Amino acid sequence: MRRRTLNAMSVMGLASALALTACGSGGGDGDGPAAVTFWDTSGPAESPVFARLAQDCGEAGGYQVDIEQVAFDQALNNYRNAAQGGQGPDVFRAEVAWVPQLAENGLIQDLSETDLADPADFLETPWSSTQYDGRTYGVPQVTDTLALLYNRDLLDEAGVEPPTSWAELAESAPPLGGESAIFLNNDAYYALPFVYGAGGDLVDTEAQEILVNSPEAVEGLTTAKDLLDEGAAQTALDQGNSYGNMKAAFVAGDVAMIIDGPWAVAELLEGDAFADPENLGIAPVPGPEDGAGNSPVGGHDYVIRQGSAATESAQDLIACLSSTESQITVATELGLLPTRESAYADPAVAAQPIVSAFSPVIERAHPRPWIPEGGELFDPLKIAYSDILAGNVEPQDALDEVATIYQDTILTEYSVS
Amino acid sequence: MVLPVVVVIGVLVLLPLGQGLFFTFTDINEGNIANPFLDRPSTYDVVGLANYLNVLSGEPAYGAFWATLVRTLIWTFSGVFFHYVIGLGLAMLLNRPMRFRSVYRVLLILPWAVPAFISAFSWRYLFNADYGLINWALESVGLPTPVWLGQSNIALVAVIIVNVWLGVPFMMVALLGGLQAIPADLYEAAEIDGATPWQRFVHVTVPALRSVSNTVILLGVIWTFNMFAVIYLITGPNPNTRILITYAFERFFSGATRDYAIASTYGVLILSVLLVFATVYRRALKRQGEVW
Repeated sequence: MRRRTLNAMSVMGLASALALTACGSGGGDGDGPAAVTFWDTSGPAESPVFARLAQDCGEAGGYQVDIEQVAFDQALNNYRNAAQGGQGPDVFRAEVAWVPQLAENGLIQDLSETDLADPADFLETPWSSTQYDGRTYGVPQVTDTLALLYNRDLLDEAGVEPPTSWAELAESAPPLGGESAIFLNNDAYYALPFVYGAGGDLVDTEAQEILVNSPEAVEGLTTAKDLLDEGAAQTALDQGNSYGNMKAAFVAGDVAMIIDGPWAVAELLEGDAFADPENLGIAPVPGPEDGAGNSPVGGHDYVIRQGSAATESAQDLIACLSSTESQITVATELGLLPTRESAYADPAVAAQPIVSAFSPVIERAHPRPWIPEGGELFDPLKIAYSDILAGNVEPQDALDEVATIYQDTILTEYSVS
Repeated sequence: MVLPVVVVIGVLVLLPLGQGLFFTFTDINEGNIANPFLDRPSTYDVVGLANYLNVLSGEPAYGAFWATLVRTLIWTFSGVFFHYVIGLGLAMLLNRPMRFRSVYRVLLILPWAVPAFISAFSWRYLFNADYGLINWALESVGLPTPVWLGQSNIALVAVIIVNVWLGVPFMMVALLGGLQAIPADLYEAAEIDGATPWQRFVHVTVPALRSVSNTVILLGVIWTFNMFAVIYLITGPNPNTRILITYAFERFFSGATRDYAIASTYGVLILSVLLVFATVYRRALKRQGEVW
């Protein structure tokens, strides 16, 4: 799961998507299997590895693979536009929250009757993200969650341990230079560790209840605001630049800690502060008390477009890309977390420092609601969270408004707690 | 012989307009619209005036219509005011014999030639509160460094600045054309009569520019009212810079529900506001400033 800001790259993504929709998804030309178009939404540091894997899979399977790099924050929209017009990629790397939404709108294929629908080796939570209405719509690619990333040198110099609670973080801030202790990204996904850690949630799908304005959630976001007020944290109040500024400040050594996921690590290691990869520490997200930290489960699934002309090759490609062997390559080279049990059994994966640091965090990570509306819950929360951190609105008022928006426009069947 | 015209107008203008109008009375969205590619029939219902009632109630869940309308008017009129004033000033500066006149003219038109989205992204980097050039410059002369694109009304000021930068060249070129069409002997006659430069401006230049000004101001208002790219690409879905058109887009396309019905309702309301404005404006012009 990556929430990124619009940037120039997204325009390139859009342009390539348009180019792609213009030329269609290309059927077979008589002999040989049809070419498979694959929309990859991974970041610039990750995509070369996925591209190489996909090409290798195509060569081994005897079909051509066309890889299109699509910016993550534009990908869902581009895919929906293209797929509704019967165009678009054959294989799409979809964020876990998108799968039920695409399944409900009939934009991806039901894979229940294919060989791909075999949960045996997959971890339970990533596999559950491929399920909608009792059917299988995807295959898990990677799983992830948010953790506390820290600069070992800066913490050692200040003589502090990685904090396990928010109170400890506030205490360790003065020796770290006050607000350069931690940078909080004011985006919705990055609000979830505060909400989940305090025992809150956005919605309860069983009871059909909206919980985003419950006392726990309010308390969680109040904690975040308090960290800013106490001078123990900083944030970029301009939402569009927030994620970029967070990474820039961290790799420049200007802040000691950030909260981010494994997808960011490859890019962070290219920065000055982490020329020595050993300097990047990874710890569970702090919580209200020691060890009570909790962060959301994210990740990506492979799905096949409804109406794809290359379904057979697409299934081959997914089977190959999600195989244990491919997952081991991705895990060892990029530090992304595999979704197969068998991949974790590999010694090289177990020894990979990023994977081994994130594995205990993912084990107690908080699952998200796998409902079609799951992905839509973020936009209103993003506005509320950045309003709260800017000090414009009290957490309770901001979250009450989010609850109203959820009930009026997204989850009309639900009641507000 | 009018038949081809009627058919073209009907197909290109009236049919889509009528369909959009019809959508405002339904609960149409991405999930229930017919889709031949997916073999899916349409399943939306007619819901009467519910969309209009929801939007006009001004609830935050439906884009806080009235507050958004007020912000749209502030955005539009401040934008057009600065476009016109700065454009006229630059046009007068350029409307004199001097060296390199055509070079200056080309340079001043440059912002207009750059695609809007490239300008928008450049400005977003310039406005970056921590790393942007603007705050760096402000800091180096000891001025406060605001969070330009944050959750406050300063964000609206920031996008107005960008919009003014983008819109001035058009005004300048249009007004320069108007200025050059004014016969020089009018100025000579005024000068002989002893008119000061200010009197020459008020009594010769302004009246002679009236027809050009009226047109470009009307166009400017309509364009600015519906200026989507600048706001959305620079600040995204920030409620402090939300105008009617960006909210319609959010409802139609962005991450949230693809609610075609509410988006169409906004479209119809935008059209109504502009129709009322254009009618009042034309009437005011015809009667030399008196509306009724």
